[in-house]
Amino acid sequence: MATLFRTHLRLARTSIKENRTRSFLTCLGIAIGVASIVLILSLMGGISNLIKNEISEIGSDLIVVRPNSTKDSVTSVIEELTSSNSFQNSSLSIKDVDEIKKLEDISAVAPIAISNNKIDSEKNNLSSVQILGTNSDFIKIQPIALHYGSFLNDENEEKTVVLGRTLSLALFNTINSTIGKTITIMGEKFMIVGVLDEVDKSINFDNIDFDNAAIINIKHLNKIAETAQIQQINIKAKNTDSLGQISDNIRNTLTNQKLGDQNFTVSYGDSIMHPASSLFMIVSGMLTLVAAISLIVGGIGVMNIMLVSVAERSHEIGVRKAVGASSRNILMQFLFEALILSLMGGILGLLLGYILAFILSTITPFSPYISWHIIAVTFLTTTLIGIIFGIYPAIKAAAKNPIDSLRHYR
Amino acid sequence: MSENILIELKGLTKSYGYGDTKYFALKDFDLTIKRGEFIMIMGPSGCGKTTLLNIIGLLDRATRGEYILNGENVANISMRRQAKLRAKKIGFVFQNFNLIEDLPIIDNVSLPLVYTGYSKTAQLKNASSALRRFHLQEKEYYLPYQLSGGQQQRVAIARAIVNDPEIILADEPTGNLDSRSSHVVMEELKAIHEEGNTIIMVTHNPALTVYATRVINMLDGQIDTDIKTVEDQNLPQPISVKIKKRKKSRRK
Repeated sequence: MATLFRTHLRLARTSIKENRTRSFLTCLGIAIGVASIVLILSLMGGISNLIKNEISEIGSDLIVVRPNSTKDSVTSVIEELTSSNSFQNSSLSIKDVDEIKKLEDISAVAPIAISNNKIDSEKNNLSSVQILGTNSDFIKIQPIALHYGSFLNDENEEKTVVLGRTLSLALFNTINSTIGKTITIMGEKFMIVGVLDEVDKSINFDNIDFDNAAIINIKHLNKIAETAQIQQINIKAKNTDSLGQISDNIRNTLTNQKLGDQNFTVSYGDSIMHPASSLFMIVSGMLTLVAAISLIVGGIGVMNIMLVSVAERSHEIGVRKAVGASSRNILMQFLFEALILSLMGGILGLLLGYILAFILSTITPFSPYISWHIIAVTFLTTTLIGIIFGIYPAIKAAAKNPIDSLRHYR
Repeated sequence: MSENILIELKGLTKSYGYGDTKYFALKDFDLTIKRGEFIMIMGPSGCGKTTLLNIIGLLDRATRGEYILNGENVANISMRRQAKLRAKKIGFVFQNFNLIEDLPIIDNVSLPLVYTGYSKTAQLKNASSALRRFHLQEKEYYLPYQLSGGQQQRVAIARAIVNDPEIILADEPTGNLDSRSSHVVMEELKAIHEEGNTIIMVTHNPALTVYATRVINMLDGQIDTDIKTVEDQNLPQPISVKIKKRKKSRRK
């Protein structure tokens, strides 16, 4: 069996070599499909790695509460696409934040509400700026540093704002000496009390681009933008050992608060990693689907070429059968050829995909993610493609009648 | 004496089509072939010569009847068994040589060994010695189209004998050759026969019957005349069994 295996391998190699251009083009079809899957997987891996790193920076004492959409997923996705707010109908409220604060072993609780609004300064007007409504606990949880000035103060009733670095530049053309100046958000005047250091992490578990955000107190945000809802509550626990216990407490408290409705999720550890927006998942899912379709097209290419090859080599099949090849031998010979074509395409695609991912990583913040999972997935799918699209031509070859095939002289 | 019988055909019938268009290529065909015979089958086209050869060569199946090869009824064995028997016991020589154009000569010759579990080295050794026998050893890595017709047919004969078969079937082996090449090929076949091999050959050329020990004339799927020119006891018998380096086959 082993000798026969090697023989099939050798035969496939010879045949592929003989039709070099044809084989290469077929491989390329598979390679493009594989490359796009590898690219998507490695970028998706890169993104979750980014968030994972961020969470480990923050510490393992983080608990996150997010609302569940009350509507079915399709409508909520459409809503997300058409509106700037991630969660239109959040089930979380400031009252919940206060309730969580009363629980034991919790050091900080910060809500996150986001609204996109117009901001005017004396120099520039910006039409759509991400405005984050939160409280003074936010900076205790999120490792963001102030370039200068101070963060929000809950006791202070005055309307204050902290600007992201890039936003500050956009509004005043400077990051220095903006403290004490006022900006207008939806007609309300806010005094600038601080400017953030550069964060340069547009992808994070809060789903906020800090460099371009204005941070104000959530009670002010609710007044100027009624649609702004709490889309996440970040909680810092006092110790990391009893995260499960604490999150259970939070879950119970909120359930009581909401009269038994469980329309929220409490997560900690790695499960926070899932990007806050399901939009991201939908988009990457669709991309994977497109890549899978191109892989299928590649597979059809393999099948096409194998059918041509079987037709061309009718005579060879006849000769082989006449000298003692069984139908099974012929089947294996052609199946191996398809499999090798497809695997070669897979290897080529793997390389191509990583090269593309590296090129992309030079212009985007995430680095490509290489893991044996992706390589295993590649080999598995290409093997499957090879077998699925190779089996029909191979069966066709094996079923040929030797007498008729011998007459098929070139 | 019965062990000398290689092939027995009893009531072999092969028909094509149904009803009014039914046509018999072979009709109740009986034939006994002894080891060491060199049989020439002659007859007009369409008399069933090639069909007979294909059935004996296990490439085709009879519609009904018995085919006993080496004491075993092989008329209704599985396709897989047929292929195995083809690989081990039967060598084919065709009119149009039927070499694989993309493979070098030596790989063409070793083809029957590929499917019988020989190691690569054993395949090449056997193929090489078969080619040497036909004075083609310098052409081992030529491609078939680089050889003349006569040379190609000698390669095909080398391929037919490389697996040391029980029987060699030749379907008009000289049909595509000029008289000089024909002569060379026939001399080679004669030499193979003299070593004790059984050969069944289909031909249209009556001049070639001088090589035969038995000439069968066929007509409409049946034997018309059957003339033995050599007595059974004078038939050449296998002298020795070739010793080959055979890799232990891992298959059953």
